Amino acid sequence: MELNKKQVDNLANKLLIGLTDEENKMVLEEFAEIQQSIDLINEIENIDNVEPMTHPYDLYTATLREDEPEESVSLKEIMQNVKQSDGREIKVPKTV
Amino acid sequence: MSKTIESLAQEIQNKKGESIIKEAIAKAKASKEYNFFVTIDENASNDIKTNNLLSGIPFATKDNLSTKGILSTASSNTLKDYVPFFDATVITKLKELGAVNIGKTTMDELGMGGTGTTAATGVVKNPWDKTRITGGSSAGSAGCVASGIVPFALGSDTGDSIRKPAAYCGVVGYKPTYGLVSRYGLFAFASSLDHVGTLTRNVKDAAIVVDAIKGKDDKDMTSLDSSDINLVASLTEKLDNKKLCYIKEICNIEEYANPSEDLKYCLNNFKEVLKKCEQIGIEVEEVSVDKSLLAAIFPTYRIISCAEATSNYSNLTGIIFGPRGQGKTVEDIMMDHRSKGFCSLIKRRFIIGSYILQKENQEKYFKKAQKVRRLIVDKINDLFTKYDGLILPCSGSCAPKIVKIKDQKQDDILENHLAIGNFGGFPSISIPCGFLHNLPIGVNITGKVLDDANVLNIAYNLEKTMNYKNQIAKEQK
Repeated sequence: MELNKKQVDNLANKLLIGLTDEENKMVLEEFAEIQQSIDLINEIENIDNVEPMTHPYDLYTATLREDEPEESVSLKEIMQNVKQSDGREIKVPKTV
Repeated sequence: MSKTIESLAQEIQNKKGESIIKEAIAKAKASKEYNFFVTIDENASNDIKTNNLLSGIPFATKDNLSTKGILSTASSNTLKDYVPFFDATVITKLKELGAVNIGKTTMDELGMGGTGTTAATGVVKNPWDKTRITGGSSAGSAGCVASGIVPFALGSDTGDSIRKPAAYCGVVGYKPTYGLVSRYGLFAFASSLDHVGTLTRNVKDAAIVVDAIKGKDDKDMTSLDSSDINLVASLTEKLDNKKLCYIKEICNIEEYANPSEDLKYCLNNFKEVLKKCEQIGIEVEEVSVDKSLLAAIFPTYRIISCAEATSNYSNLTGIIFGPRGQGKTVEDIMMDHRSKGFCSLIKRRFIIGSYILQKENQEKYFKKAQKVRRLIVDKINDLFTKYDGLILPCSGSCAPKIVKIKDQKQDDILENHLAIGNFGGFPSISIPCGFLHNLPIGVNITGKVLDDANVLNIAYNLEKTMNYKNQIAKEQK
């Protein structure tokens, strides 16, 4: 598949990233090379029955901790990186 | 600061502790032109004293690890004012032992680069030759250890981000088994590939540090119980019955159509390293791996890492942390923050990730890459039923010139095979093994999951056959 400028802008919009015309052009230029590289994967045969690997090994077992309250970080500390706040609320423009 | 952790610990016992921290801070400040540090903590001091070897030892931390009260930007403008309210588990563990973090090191933005040239604060320069890259993404961590500023630094490794810069800077880069070291507090890039590890100037120091930071962590559900692994105690002065293999398709010069002089040199150097292996009783054999599988390493890495990164970094919005963008709606504010904050390379990678994750492309690209990842890992695990590890050159050249970075080929198998260690979560260590154009080159040993002690012991004994242990970078004229 070939990408065009509009499709690149559409993907960027979904990511909430704005692109300059120059950046859009760079994506298009790079995409051909990436497509070629990705196609190397398509040269691997007989993989239909291979289970996709989402974790480096299969010895992983999930464990759950006991449902007991633990000490947590204070609200004051958590809020210190928020640029606009009001008490325990984060200020953003009106959405509804 | 050119000494080992053990010799520094001896000095500290002799009451010279405070001067060691001050000396490290002074050296860090004097290294400004190399851009190793985003932040230097001039007030760092050894307040906690313990009997551990690391008590009073200065170290540096990659800027994508959370440090309470200290700026942690991951070298991105989207986090240029972010100060974590908690420490990463590795930092907590080191602090409790009395080790002293003197600063945060520069990296490729958000860990998504292999050159050390994409940090918001500029290019990181190689301490052996400032016209060359350090490699990345743990660029500053490799540079400051190679320069003798600190005896060790923490790094992270998603494709080769500890081991490649280690090779380019002439130091030891160790990525332990996936899960051996907690990732709580590491800014997630590609969660199924991310590891925390170390940069040191010798193998034993790597063992000392990882012994201190490893362990099951309730805050990281992927961490493993490794209480039966003791890396330092497993280092022996002699090796018995060890077998390594190397991959013919990567290491034989006949496999390359038009080999450069640098490549010839590196592969010849590798042959010399194999001879040294044999001298210390390691049996080395050549194995063959399907070239199409090897050629798929880089695209597999690219697809999985870009897809996972696109998802992980969707939390960078500028709303709950990071500089607030401008706009009339929440979407406008986030768009402004992300558009201005990310460098062009990061934007392109996110767009690739987004493209791969579109519903119509998931099967074709993402799932297929995950299947190929399994085939690669299965093949390597199959080798590990017969061998203690895989030994390969880290690269086909020394650190490239900064100005030539754009000319680097990205699909070269030799330049990308270290990602195998991330695919399978294998313990993997790079050690210096020679010089090309007066610049260091490295060799890598990768072993089976949780066999870190064996991998380190082989590296420890191989290191003794060469003269690069504890070396400090000397700027080339």
